[in-house]
Amino acid sequence: MAITIRQATIEDLEGMQNANLTNLPENYTMKYYLYHLLSWPQASFVATTTDPELSHQDKPSIHYVKQDMQYTGRGEKIVGYVLGKMDDDPDAEDKTPHGHVTSLSVMRTYRRMGLADKLMRQCLYSLCETYQAKYVSLHVRKSNRAALHLYRDTLKFEVLSIEKSYYQDKEDAYYMKKDLVLSELVPSSFQGGIEDNLEDDLLESILEEGVDKLN
Amino acid sequence: DGVLKKSPGHAPSLALKGLALYYSDTDKASAESYITRALEKDQSDNVVDHIAGIYYKAVKNYKQAAKWYQAAMDNGSTNKNILRDLSTMQSQIRDYKNLPKSRLGYLEDQPGYRANWTASAVAHHLNGDLVNAEKVLGRIEDLISDKLQESDYFEHSECLLYRNEVISQAGNYEAALKDLDRIEETGMVLDGFALLERRAHYLMKLGRKKEASLVYRRLLKRNPDNAQYYYQLEQALGVTGSSRVRLALYEKLATFYPKSDPPKFIPLTFLSGDEFKQKAEEYIVGQLKRGVPSTFVNVKPLYKSKSNAATIYSIVSNFFNNTKDEPLTYCWTAYFLAQHHYHVGEYSAALEKIDVAIGHTPTLVELYIMKARIFKRLNELDQAASVMNEGLKLDLQDRFINTKTTKYYLRADNVHKAIDTISAFTKNDESPNGLKDLHIMQSIWFLVESAESYLRKYRKALGDKNDKEAVTNLGLALKRYLSITKVFDEFYDDQLDFHHYSMRKGTPGAYMKMIDWADNLFDQPIYNRVLDGLSEVVSETFRHSELLSSEHVHRKLKKEEIKKREELVQYSQGTANDDDVFGEKALSKILADDKLQILVNQQVLLHASDSVFTQIFNFKVNFRLKKYVLCLQSVNKLLAIDSQNPHIGYMVDQLRSNLDESIPESIKKIVGVGLMKHFANVDTAKLLETYFSRADLETAYVLVRLHKSEYRERLAEIVERLDPYSAGLVKIMQLSY
Repeated sequence: MAITIRQATIEDLEGMQNANLTNLPENYTMKYYLYHLLSWPQASFVATTTDPELSHQDKPSIHYVKQDMQYTGRGEKIVGYVLGKMDDDPDAEDKTPHGHVTSLSVMRTYRRMGLADKLMRQCLYSLCETYQAKYVSLHVRKSNRAALHLYRDTLKFEVLSIEKSYYQDKEDAYYMKKDLVLSELVPSSFQGGIEDNLEDDLLESILEEGVDKLN
Repeated sequence: DGVLKKSPGHAPSLALKGLALYYSDTDKASAESYITRALEKDQSDNVVDHIAGIYYKAVKNYKQAAKWYQAAMDNGSTNKNILRDLSTMQSQIRDYKNLPKSRLGYLEDQPGYRANWTASAVAHHLNGDLVNAEKVLGRIEDLISDKLQESDYFEHSECLLYRNEVISQAGNYEAALKDLDRIEETGMVLDGFALLERRAHYLMKLGRKKEASLVYRRLLKRNPDNAQYYYQLEQALGVTGSSRVRLALYEKLATFYPKSDPPKFIPLTFLSGDEFKQKAEEYIVGQLKRGVPSTFVNVKPLYKSKSNAATIYSIVSNFFNNTKDEPLTYCWTAYFLAQHHYHVGEYSAALEKIDVAIGHTPTLVELYIMKARIFKRLNELDQAASVMNEGLKLDLQDRFINTKTTKYYLRADNVHKAIDTISAFTKNDESPNGLKDLHIMQSIWFLVESAESYLRKYRKALGDKNDKEAVTNLGLALKRYLSITKVFDEFYDDQLDFHHYSMRKGTPGAYMKMIDWADNLFDQPIYNRVLDGLSEVVSETFRHSELLSSEHVHRKLKKEEIKKREELVQYSQGTANDDDVFGEKALSKILADDKLQILVNQQVLLHASDSVFTQIFNFKVNFRLKKYVLCLQSVNKLLAIDSQNPHIGYMVDQLRSNLDESIPESIKKIVGVGLMKHFANVDTAKLLETYFSRADLETAYVLVRLHKSEYRERLAEIVERLDPYSAGLVKIMQLSY
């Protein structure tokens, strides 16, 4: 397909930083991104375009990587990312291990495909599985209705409080939280599909159902 | 100071004073002289050595710092912390030969911390010694296994996986799989992706495909949106040949993951005829109905097949004609068609369709982005920026459209307007605009686009015979390019703290990836673009050196000009306290330096010795330095990598006709003989036919640079065939030739 979602690597960080600069008002220098990936290598994810080869094609695929900050590989452009972390503030009151979403962003031209939702589900699962996070928290701009909808309605976060003048420009933030239970977070379970029981032989079942009937 | 008064030659005091001066704000500049004097006096004093190490680390001369830290240890210092700093320096300068020794020394002093064992193993690994790396990791694992506390679990998990990685790198997948079984059984590995991905990988390597297929299915359950897993599952199941079985497989997978795109999209890459039409229609129409803005971009990879492109067009135009009563769908479909026409180069049809969409729903930002893009391709750059700006006005809260508008102002060479626009989202504090913030925030895209814009403005000013403006813009282009090289230096420098931090945190696997990233940092495509621009600035500086001494440039400014210049400073000053805002000094420095340090410094950063770019860049630098034998090597290498690259034609032409007269006959002979080997019968006609046959922008640029009458006709032909925007770029470049 055109878009794929996977764990972020160090090589993606420049593209993530660029996506952040493109989309959001709060920006960070590279060291902060490195700090995330070298502290919590499994907590961040990216959505990228892909440019697969076709079985029959007239035009050759482009063989080079575009000279553009957004590209991390051949035909691979970062169109969304989530930067996750564990709370590591030594002065924090709550010592329960818990995660925090530093930044989430999807390019405007790649919206309405559920990428933010999917990136978040990957992030939550990893925070819970790898870092044993009991809950995850984040801040949302009060005016950001789309994000509020995603967190509250789709991902079932709850609003804990409103933090006055949280952002540089003095806008208020919702402080939101979600408790994490690993078995309830499996990303594919939110699709409403038939569950792969991991027992059936995929090819056998296909052949039984008959390949020919597909025509 | 007291000691120095009594005995002015007391080396440790001299060194200490140097360090103190460095950290004071008053006399930073003379710090180094104290350090060197101290070293001259007594470099066998380990206190002096240590201070010298600290000083050189502070000024980021890590090579020197490593040297003096090492000297401090060799001269009998008992301060083992120096070993830690030494190993950090060695890691930073990639002195892997000596790294294991200093890491081991520190480990022997402080064996009670796992971090030091990890660091020692990583040192062996970096030094290419997998056996010892694995041994060290195994030893600490044994020592620590029954003493773990909950807070150590993550570190333990990462270290188990790292050890497994080291084992697999030795190429014995049987052993790696066995180890994976072992560590999984402990229940201590917390990274589920890593366990599954490695298991699948090892099983595939061992030819145990059926088992691997089950692991890929487990991976899909965790992440059904990773296209790679689907391809790998196909490999494991061995169905890659038959498109009928492949389709059946994806239909099955789509029932498991109905909201994931890969099982719907991937079949489009192998189907043809009616099957393709049916599946493509479901895919595209479904997205258009949902109003997915990227519908076209999602199917764009399919356009590599002509028949696909025709089918997609007929699907969407049919759908368009039957969708008039669904206002939003109608609009997104017109948007799709506009992108289709744009993609196949039908710009007026594209414009027509996007106007239909905008006429219908004038409030969708995406439509303006597309319309602006069409104008840009038509080389109507002011118009393009102004359309983008209309889109911006629809959503002033959205930085994405702000970024696009800024970029389009830069493409239209309206730098001031660009800066005004982007400043709505930057931290401006006491500055008149966001220019300084963009530098601090490492906004590389903005700096590159600015640099390129200034370079175009320079050429336009030359065309207008406006020397003063030409120099200002050339200088500003240089300043921006240098700022980007500085950002990349910062990136490289950012590693420094992690040589220690990652070991403490217990993330050696991620650390090794950081090392790889940093090693390839300067070979990235985006950095190629920067070096291309930088070398262009340098070559223009030499070619138009008269500009820098021109009377127009140095005459006294009139009153209103001074005022204008002050305003210009506001839009030009990228860093605080810059005494060379317009880069005039930097340009003069280039002219004065016959060693071409500005480019040679970059040359040493390029590690990808087999890349096309490295050959081209090295040729340019070495040609200017009259190192013609090295130039010849670049030609031969490039010939081996990309045998029809237009730069080969450029290089051959230059080596044949443009050698400096003053070089010795023997060198001329070597170059002549060397060229004979591959280019004996290559005359102008042959050059044109072989190396300048591609009608692309790169070839056009090369021909402009050659600037010879025998290539003029070919250049005109290429420009004729380029799209209007690219043709415009070539014409601007010609203004300075």
